[in-house]
This record gives sequence, C-alpha cells and structure tokens, in this order.
Amino acid sequence: MNTDTIRSAFMRIGLFTTLMLATLTLVACASAPLPPTESLNNARDAIASAEQAEARQYAGAELEEANSHLAAAVKAVEAERMAEAERLARQARVAAELAIARTEAAKAAEINREMGRGADALDEEMQRQGDQQ
Amino acid sequence: MKMPSFLKPTSGVRTGAVVLLSSVLLSACAMSPTSPDGSEELRAKLTQLQQNPDMMTHARVQLRDAEAAVELAEQPLDDEAVVAHRIYMADRMIEIARAKGQVGLLEAERELLGEQRDEARLTARTREADQAHADAESARSSQAQAAAMSAREAEELQRQIDTLEAEATERGLVLTLGDVLFATGSAEIQGGTNQNLEKLVTFLKQYPERQVLIEGHTDNVGSAAFNETLSRQRAESVRRFLISRGIDSSRLSVSGYGFERPVASNDTAMGRQQNRRVEVVIENGE
Repeated sequence: MNTDTIRSAFMRIGLFTTLMLATLTLVACASAPLPPTESLNNARDAIASAEQAEARQYAGAELEEANSHLAAAVKAVEAERMAEAERLARQARVAAELAIARTEAAKAAEINREMGRGADALDEEMQRQGDQQ
Repeated sequence: MKMPSFLKPTSGVRTGAVVLLSSVLLSACAMSPTSPDGSEELRAKLTQLQQNPDMMTHARVQLRDAEAAVELAEQPLDDEAVVAHRIYMADRMIEIARAKGQVGLLEAERELLGEQRDEARLTARTREADQAHADAESARSSQAQAAAMSAREAEELQRQIDTLEAEATERGLVLTLGDVLFATGSAEIQGGTNQNLEKLVTFLKQYPERQVLIEGHTDNVGSAAFNETLSRQRAESVRRFLISRGIDSSRLSVSGYGFERPVASNDTAMGRQQNRRVEVVIENGE
C-alpha cells in the first residue's frame, strides 16, 4: 500500500512534468513569430528624440539612416521575418543615437566657435584701445 | 634511450593520452574559426579611442558599451546576417563614444574659453578707464558682444560713480567738493593735487559727451555781493583746474550762488563748513 502510494506519486510527477514541457514547447512555438515591439518602440523613440534635438540639421545622414532601418524593420515584420526585424529595429535605434550624439557635438562646436569669435572681437578691441593710447 | 621523463616508455598509456591531448589541442587551433571580417577594423578603431585619455575621461560609459559590442562582433558565427548586424552595431557605438568624447572635450574647452574671456574683460576694463569710446565699432561685430559691452559699460559707469562718491540726482551726478579745497576768503585751490578732483578728471575724460555745471556756494559770513563773487571765483578756479587737466572748456559752465542755497544751517560752525562748497553737476547722458 505504501509502495503503491509512492509509485502513483512518481507517476503523477512524471505526468505533470510531461504536461509542463509540452505546454512550454507550445508557448515557445507560439511566441516565436511575435513582432519585436519593444525594439521597434525604442527605435521610434530614439528617432523622435533625434528629431527634437534638430538632428535633421546637424546629422541628417545619420537620421536618414535610422529612418530607413526602421522602415526596413517594419517591412520585415510584415513579411514575418521577426529576427531580421529585431536586428533592423536595433540598428535604427543605434543610428538615431549616433545622430543625437553627433548633433550634440556639432552644437557644442558651434557654441565654442561663437565664443572664440567673441573673444577675438574683445582682443581686437583691446588692441585698438592699446593703439590709441 | 634518452627521453624526457614524461615520455618514459613505461607510461605507455600516459604517452597515448598526451599525444591525443596535444592533437586535440592542435586541431582545435587549426579549426578555430577566425573572427568575422571587419571586426579587426572595429577593434583598431576602438583601441585608438581607448588609448586617448581625453576620450576615456569624457566617454567612459560609451567606450565600455562599445567594447562589449566589439567583443560580440568578434565572435565567430556562421549566420552572416547576424555577423553583419553585430558589426554595424559595434561600429555605430564606437562612433557614439567618439562623438560623446568630443562633446566632453568641447565643454571643457569652453570653460577655458570663458576664463580667458573673463581675464580679457578685466584687462579691457582697466584700459577702458582712459578710453571708453573706442568700443562702438568692434561692438558692432556681433550682437552678443554688443549686449555684453553695454552691460559692461553700465557696470563701469557705476563703478566710476562709486569711486567719485557722487550722488545721483535728477540734475545728474552731483559731486560736492568741500571747503577744505580753499583757504578762508581765498578762491585758490589749496595744495597741488586733490584726489577728488583727480577722480573727476578721470571720469570726465571717460565720458566726454557729458556737460558739467560747476556751482560755487558759501556760508553767510560777509555781504551777499562778496559771497556771490567768492563763490563764482571758487567755481572758476575749479573750472580752470579742469581745463588745465585737459577737459574741454566748452563742456564746463560756471555759476556762483553765494549763500542762496545752503545745505545746512549757518548758525553752527559745522553747518557753515558744509555750506562752503563747490558742487560739480555732471549732466546725465542722453
């Protein structure tokens, strides 16, 4: 009686495990063709940030690249090539981030040039004052 | 037979094992797939940035991310699409790190520029004490510059007014020269130089467009006519002094009010001393 109980317990566990595995396998199969929503959203967010940072003006090529990757990613989703879509979405995001970084660098350089001009003008003026004395 | 101890014939099994192991190792080396094409260039580019101390200071985080991406791109893989993707990602991340480093460098440089400019301003201000008017032309070179200039001029004017110890009134800046300048009954300025007058000269030279009223006042000791004359003479001698120091005479007008306009009571010695004065009114600029 005691051994029967143990055996039936083992059998139950075995059944349970089998069912679990089967479920997991099914779930895995079902989830595989899901579109890479998160990566796509990240890419769109990054492109929006880049546009807000005036990347069109300062890093137009990079922004263009990001947009074309995103468009390709969307096409890949439509064709249900999800792995490719995921990669393209990530590329779109990193390209947009590069656009932002290069925009920041270009703006910083612009400010420094402006400041340099201001300092030059001041120097010039001082020179002139010095000459007059 | 001389053989290394680990190849003694007695240990045939061990020899076999060693041979097998080394052949496995060798074949592992031979078969080890090389890093994907393009990853060498990435590694070289990244190393170049990592060796730049400025980049390490300003883009530490981005370089670390790029390093991870390059390591991933260096892993051998059969899937060409994934390889190309990893190389693309690593390349852009290296470029992001480079751009971030540039931003950091430029910002540091800006701080330095600012300091240099402050220094230049200070020097300019000192010189300006004698030459305020030369600004106009170069100020036009940029709007920002012009704004900075006028702010600086206003600041400078205030500083000058403060050193003059003049009082800002509706009529203009009023500088009161006390009677210590003159001996009693005399209109001659005492002593060679007077600090207040020197400051006045400096100020007038700096603001050459401003007209100046020199007004003499006295206490009520003596007749009105005497005091009127004395007050005018005292004002005149201040005028002469200013002209002798190079101030254009057309800017200077003089009047003597005698004891008409006391500022204190003539009943006390102290009050009378306050009334004996020359007031220099510097008219406000336009």
